[in-house]
Amino acid sequence: MTVNEIVDELRAARPQASDALRLEVMTIAARPQPRTPTLRERLAGRRRLALLVPAGAALALTAAVAIGISRSGSPATVGTAAPESAARSAGTTGESLAAPPTAADAATAQKAAPGPVAGRAQRYGAALSLQVDDTDALSEATQEALAIARDLGGYVVSVHYATGDEGTASMTLRVPSASAADAVTRLSALGTILAQNVQIDDLQESLDGLDRRQQQVRARIAALTAAIGRADDDAERARLEEQRAQARAELRELRASRAATAAEARTATVQLDLRTKESEGGAVPGSGSRLDRALDKALAVLAWEGVVLLAVALAAAPFVLVAAAAWATRRMRRRREEDRLLAAS
Amino acid sequence: MTLEQPIAVRPPRSLAEAAEAHLDDVLGYLLYLTRDRETAEDLTSATFEKALRLWSRFDATRGSARTWLLGIARTTALDWFRAESRRRRREEAAAPPERVDEAFGEGLSPALEAGLASLSAGEREVLALRVVLELDGDATARVLGISSTAVSTRLSRALKRLEERVNEG
Repeated sequence: MTVNEIVDELRAARPQASDALRLEVMTIAARPQPRTPTLRERLAGRRRLALLVPAGAALALTAAVAIGISRSGSPATVGTAAPESAARSAGTTGESLAAPPTAADAATAQKAAPGPVAGRAQRYGAALSLQVDDTDALSEATQEALAIARDLGGYVVSVHYATGDEGTASMTLRVPSASAADAVTRLSALGTILAQNVQIDDLQESLDGLDRRQQQVRARIAALTAAIGRADDDAERARLEEQRAQARAELRELRASRAATAAEARTATVQLDLRTKESEGGAVPGSGSRLDRALDKALAVLAWEGVVLLAVALAAAPFVLVAAAAWATRRMRRRREEDRLLAAS
Repeated sequence: MTLEQPIAVRPPRSLAEAAEAHLDDVLGYLLYLTRDRETAEDLTSATFEKALRLWSRFDATRGSARTWLLGIARTTALDWFRAESRRRRREEAAAPPERVDEAFGEGLSPALEAGLASLSAGEREVLALRVVLELDGDATARVLGISSTAVSTRLSRALKRLEERVNEG
């Protein structure tokens, strides 16, 4: 008997259900279904997972966007804020104050611009970065700044003015120290403050030291002059005159040094940078449109969510691997058991 | 030997329709698997009882109703084999098992009946699915939970063994 003959015979003798069995089965099949499965049952297993993954992703995205929008109300503050009280008390040795860059705080910064303390020699330096609307406003503000310097008895050390798609003006002004705070206040009003920095160094101690040293040298010169008058021999006189000449040279240096220090204390240096709104190079980061800030925040939240997800995945990975191995082992054992059962029957 | 491909048919709208169309297939498969008509009929009833409970999960896009019913029949039969194995282990100590070989189908020659009886249940089920019920390789693989290649291998071995036994007798 060939294989083809066996196949033909097997197909010809295909088993048929008896009438009794057919009736029984049809009775079963015609029964109403026990109950409609619940939504949970229908979403069981992989289907539920397939629904949970996009739902989780959508939730994470929605949360990021919501947080981004809710936190985008005001631009980020950059630099060290200068509280009004701290600004008022400025004027002691080596103080440096940076003004807040926000427009809301600009008025406060203008009012609170610190100046040198009267009666003390101080080196005063201020740096201002302002934003103006356009190149016309830039030109006006530059002219106004130069006028302010002259009005306060100061002068312009240097000016660099450039316009194009974007406009910038940079100038160094020197004004009398007594008018420094006034200059900063008036210059601050020329535009929106992007950054403000005031540096005050005390020079009084240095001047007092130079004065004391000069007195000592003068006294020494007087003593040497008296000694020269009393000298008997020419060699001794020549040696004392040499010493007096050195002391006089030292005195000249001390006078020059004192004059330079005093001059430094008499005038203040103000560095003023102006730029149009289009010139974003020096703009404070985070001061873009609300949409930009919202996107930045949303991306930051998404990145944070990604980090958390990664951490959770790393923590869960060993358990998932163990569970997968257990599932695979159970499946393999079941398959072997089935094979044994079918082989033995 | 030629194994015909099944004709694509419209999916049944109810279990009654599926039972009407595939009752003989389920019974034939279970009869080849168990070698006992009475047991096969009991398991057929059990299969349709189970199918009634699971009918709402039937998805025609994932396979035909015949494949789905045969899969349930196989699970039902395996549960029966397990129970039978436990029962046999308990009873073997008291009395030797009594084997009753039944006919696989009306009109089979005694040599083929004997040859089928000498095969294992695993060999008989692949013959039932691929030869008697004429399922294609993929559908058979889905019912048995193995690959199509494994189905071909099992079928080839079963046929060769059956041919040897028939010609020996």
